[in-house]
Amino acid sequence: MEALSELLKEYALTTYSVKPNRLVIEIPKERVKNALKVIKEKHGDTGIYVSTIVGTDFPDKKQVRLDYYLVTHPDDKVYVLRTWLSREDPRVDSILDLFPGALSGECETHDLLGVVFEGNPFIKREFFAPTDVASKGVFPLRKDSGV
Amino acid sequence: MTVDKVIEIPVSLEVPIGPQHPALHEPVMLKVYAEGEEVVKVEVNTGYNHRGIERLTEKNSFYRNIFIVSRVCGICNIVHSDVYVRAVEQVMDIEPSRRAKYLRVLAMELERIHSHMIINAIMAEILGYDTLFMYIMRDREKVMKAKEILTGNRVLGDYLMVGGVRRDLNEVDRERLKNILVKLEPEVWKYIKVFEEDETLWKRLRGVGVIKPRDVTLHGLVGPTARGSGVNIDARREGYDAYGEVPFNIIVRSDMDSWGRMMVRWHETIESISMCKYILENLPSNGPAVPDETRLPRKFPVGEAFARVEAPRGELTYYVMSDGRQNPYRVKIRTPSFNNIINSGFSYIGHTIADVPVILTSYDPCISCMERAIITDLRRGERMYLRFKDLSTRLK
Repeated sequence: MEALSELLKEYALTTYSVKPNRLVIEIPKERVKNALKVIKEKHGDTGIYVSTIVGTDFPDKKQVRLDYYLVTHPDDKVYVLRTWLSREDPRVDSILDLFPGALSGECETHDLLGVVFEGNPFIKREFFAPTDVASKGVFPLRKDSGV
Repeated sequence: MTVDKVIEIPVSLEVPIGPQHPALHEPVMLKVYAEGEEVVKVEVNTGYNHRGIERLTEKNSFYRNIFIVSRVCGICNIVHSDVYVRAVEQVMDIEPSRRAKYLRVLAMELERIHSHMIINAIMAEILGYDTLFMYIMRDREKVMKAKEILTGNRVLGDYLMVGGVRRDLNEVDRERLKNILVKLEPEVWKYIKVFEEDETLWKRLRGVGVIKPRDVTLHGLVGPTARGSGVNIDARREGYDAYGEVPFNIIVRSDMDSWGRMMVRWHETIESISMCKYILENLPSNGPAVPDETRLPRKFPVGEAFARVEAPRGELTYYVMSDGRQNPYRVKIRTPSFNNIINSGFSYIGHTIADVPVILTSYDPCISCMERAIITDLRRGERMYLRFKDLSTRLK
């Protein structure tokens, strides 16, 4: 655990943990891709995978939070890279070229929460959301979507 | 003579498979592009079964959500409720008794047995071996009975609650469960023999849908799909519930093809039967398995938890966040099929159209799990333009 926080020392704004004992490293959104690149270089192609991408809407903070849950292989440790995006225009670099496995997570987060992953050509509406919701231009997982 | 007309010849034929199709047992659409019989590109189109369960959980209380998340998937409903309940317990700092933990593992392993049996049966059916399908389903029914004895329900268990399980196991039922497992094991070995020796199954499965270990981790594939390619990913290694105490082996094979994935499932079935037997022999008696529901907390602390479970199809993750109110602020469900189906479009390329349902089935898809593509292609979709003159020359 300490090895990864050491590795990302220059990127990290703060570190803490999500229960049960998952290390969270907060990094600025501009540096997410670089940080993931550093991690991938350290662990190699077969040493780590993107397990989940979780987007959460915080209307009172006017921000959207994005968490990348990474699992190392074969020791099965979970790390979280956390970043905050502006709610008005949530944009972040896609990590598809580093981890093709992020495709499903990025497509879903775009469709349901409206986060734009720059550089991912596959993101589109109606990936999961039904036509009547998507055609109104609302994102169902936003707290004020009315869905 | 000047040539001013150009015929555009499509390089590939588009074959939509699904969302309702005799060869698919789940509502998903695979848009297959083929050159002759060879698949050159596959798009996975989703959205036919999206029910908005994550949003629904934000509108219901922590306790009611246990029943909602159970209904994400009919086959693996207990693992869904287990991982959700564990995440909630972590937020609330509640620890279930040892007996309850053992019973949870027993229920989840019974679920793994019947889930692996049904997908092997479906694979047999898709390959045209309907008799084998019926035999496996007959024996799977014994496991459904075992699940009914344990949880009270054949399919939707609704077995878990915060702090423990809903029903304890008495001595009579314990013996009945043991008898079922003892009868089941030789039947499973029989099916393993069929899968190992039947020439038709061998020909349809071997070398079909090969995934290299590097592709497994890069595309985030999990469960038997990963372990069939030699990648030892198994969330049970975390030792949640009683997995730290119940001995088991993780089955990993290096075949990398559809056959390898099915064999991983068969051998995991055997492994799960041994685990269930171990639990029935060594069920701890300390502490109540069923907590007093009236004494469960009604106030929830602020906090967040991320729990993982090894579902029959692979790693299933739940993120639960509480802001101190009665309802969770956010519940994020990531099911194994979500990764395995959407990210595996690359693995169909180069195979024939008839292999597409076989490869899809070897990933054990569960669309109701997943939705709650676009994927594309690896070969260049070049357009070829021929002049009339060239065309006529070629036709000769």
